[in-house]
Amino acid sequence: MSTAPKIPDTLPRSFSAFVSDQMKDWPLLFPAEQSYFQRLFALIERTQPVLFASLGEIETKMAFPKALAPIEAVDFLNRNPYYSQWRAAVAEIFAKLDPVLDSEIARSGHARLVVVVSPAQLPADPSRMWLRIENRGKRIPLEPSDNFLSDLNPSSLAHQFAVHSKHGGPYSAWAIEVGQALSPANPSPLVHYSYESLQPYRHRLMREVQRIVESQTVPGPRQLSDRLKKLQILASEGAVAQDPILAEFARAILLSGNGTLLVNNTFVEWATMQAVRRARPSVAVIGFGIRNKVKPFSSLLIYQDQDATNPIPSQQDVLGSYVDLEVFYQYVWQEFEKYAEFRTNTAYVFCCDGMDEMLVIAPPDCPLLESKPPLKLSAVHSALQEWLGI
Amino acid sequence: MLPPITKRRFLRLAGLSISNRILAQNPNPARGIPNPEPRTPNKVILVTFGGGVRYSETFAPEGLHNIPRLVALRPESHFFANCVNSGVLSHFNSTASIVTGNWQRVDDFGFQPPAGPTLFEQFRKQTGAGPLDAWTVATNKSFAQMGAGSDRGLGAPYGANVVLPKQLLLEAVQDVVKKPAAGGVADRDTVLERLESVLAEGYEGVGWTIFKGGRQLDRHVRETLTRGLIEYINGPEAPTSGDELTFFITREIMREFAPRLILVNFWDMDVAHWGSYSLYLNAITKTDRLTGMLWDEVEANPAYRGRTTMLVLPELGRDGDRNAANGFLNHRSGDPSCRNMWLLAMGAGVPRGETDRPVHHIDVAATAAALLGVKPGEMAGTPMRELLL
Repeated sequence: MSTAPKIPDTLPRSFSAFVSDQMKDWPLLFPAEQSYFQRLFALIERTQPVLFASLGEIETKMAFPKALAPIEAVDFLNRNPYYSQWRAAVAEIFAKLDPVLDSEIARSGHARLVVVVSPAQLPADPSRMWLRIENRGKRIPLEPSDNFLSDLNPSSLAHQFAVHSKHGGPYSAWAIEVGQALSPANPSPLVHYSYESLQPYRHRLMREVQRIVESQTVPGPRQLSDRLKKLQILASEGAVAQDPILAEFARAILLSGNGTLLVNNTFVEWATMQAVRRARPSVAVIGFGIRNKVKPFSSLLIYQDQDATNPIPSQQDVLGSYVDLEVFYQYVWQEFEKYAEFRTNTAYVFCCDGMDEMLVIAPPDCPLLESKPPLKLSAVHSALQEWLGI
Repeated sequence: MLPPITKRRFLRLAGLSISNRILAQNPNPARGIPNPEPRTPNKVILVTFGGGVRYSETFAPEGLHNIPRLVALRPESHFFANCVNSGVLSHFNSTASIVTGNWQRVDDFGFQPPAGPTLFEQFRKQTGAGPLDAWTVATNKSFAQMGAGSDRGLGAPYGANVVLPKQLLLEAVQDVVKKPAAGGVADRDTVLERLESVLAEGYEGVGWTIFKGGRQLDRHVRETLTRGLIEYINGPEAPTSGDELTFFITREIMREFAPRLILVNFWDMDVAHWGSYSLYLNAITKTDRLTGMLWDEVEANPAYRGRTTMLVLPELGRDGDRNAANGFLNHRSGDPSCRNMWLLAMGAGVPRGETDRPVHHIDVAATAAALLGVKPGEMAGTPMRELLL
């Protein structure tokens, strides 16, 4: 098992505080995160201390305290008149470090795959889909299929990659979805998060948060953060409870993401963003859904189960979901592309259950781009297998 | 037999009751004398798109369809295309910067008042305006301390009345959930019953936070308030969001008390934090509609028509779509999408036109002070010269 790198005493305090906080639960970090920090500190060790000089000067101007919990440090920085300068100094440091780290990653790159599946109920024809990113890729006609997801079978691709690829293994393949259509059929190393499957945990968290807020026994955000960290998923609430890293990931997604407890597609988007940032999966299958309409008074009852508190039957908001997802397609694609692991070697397939067209953003050598349309979904599956080398 | 209680009548009764009590106890806590005639008849209404909204969903070409009322008002207004929030990009600090004329760096959860004096206090102290002449109506609960700053020489005795209408509703709805009835929160009768009980337990902290003189509700006022809210909840305009209630209360305050200085903080668009772009867009359009209705009231109300300047601006923006934070969901990046806003000024003496030069959120208080005939004191902001010709 790897160990956390030692943080040099010479680093500016604000930098050390944040990095230290991110590394403090080292065993709960994904391998990709551990690798990043090890490479980061190896690089810092080889770097001239002058890299941090301007940040150190700004800290002095700020009177950055010696000992400050990260959440308090964030508050201190946000309210400090030198905050903009501080951000610029940090950005300048990473502008010099990131290219070196990225080049290390690029040297060991391999083909990756992201499949984003939209729900069949969206009220849009193919020409109104993926508008914010359509000019990045190619629209490819598909042959109609009555069993779209079964024929495309993206979960199987992810499972096969995790099991058979030399780049596979734990945390290499993920499925994140609203429903359960992407669940692996058998025990699988595929990491799987489902908004619906997590319902017992979500409801317990909402009750707990509501209780904490109402009890008014938590004096500040730091104490609240400490309390929330104890609300781990139980074994009865989901399979991810068996893996401490995935259990902590579920807790963090539901309690630190905006709206993830409340809106199914927000859960999927935020979980995907965090998976990309932290785990850097080689294969990711993302299944969005239709969110419900907001019931009267819902904005007043943030941590209540809307179905329990309001007997009006829930109604699907198909048009609202369409609008929401058009933004999320962009955010998801952008997030992957921020990291060197994904640039230039990732095929993105945006499809919609039952729709006879998909959008593919991929490097020119992706076999999907060379296939003759309209494509059968089984042919898409095969082309993607070939792309992944499985 | 009593005439039927309407929303209008309810606030008139409730307002007059409160007003009488305040005036009887303390005609003018600042000087101990009745309110003098104002030096200038100008009135100022500050409207903030609270919660934060981006240029791209409002006055950028692709956003204009979200704000049809403001777009229609723009030709009659002065549009500041570059209004910059250079301060802390959080809700309380942003709005506190607007009302103090100084960039604020206080606790953002409402545990501290704005640092230094607010415009409300300076207005009331310098003009001798009475306690009913300055109001803040806000949807956000943490704005309870927005009416007065920390300046020891001023503070609450000169502050604005702060009304948090949503909190009244919130208490009632939460109470229904805690004590489930057959219909849950869909059962309006149950909500109303709880509203009544909330009021019976005292409204301090849930709704009106009128300064000390008005805090103790007598039975008549409480009953009137309850009846009025019952009528309101059952009426055709029953609120489904805090902002609709905020608008309703603001309009009734204008009709009843005709204050010279009002801050209205709408808030629904902060639903963006939930991660639904469509709900965020809907909230923007709702705020646009409510802002337009507020202007309609100014035009229709003789106490305001021809003597009122309304300044409309977002308190802050939200992260850009290309930003690392998560786009429209947050407002933490400090990128131009978070900081660069617009300001629309309309009404009395406002020359039509457009200005590209940068103005800042802290200039709003200085401008309002000038319009009200108030010396700006130690405000860092400067009056927008375009509005003071």
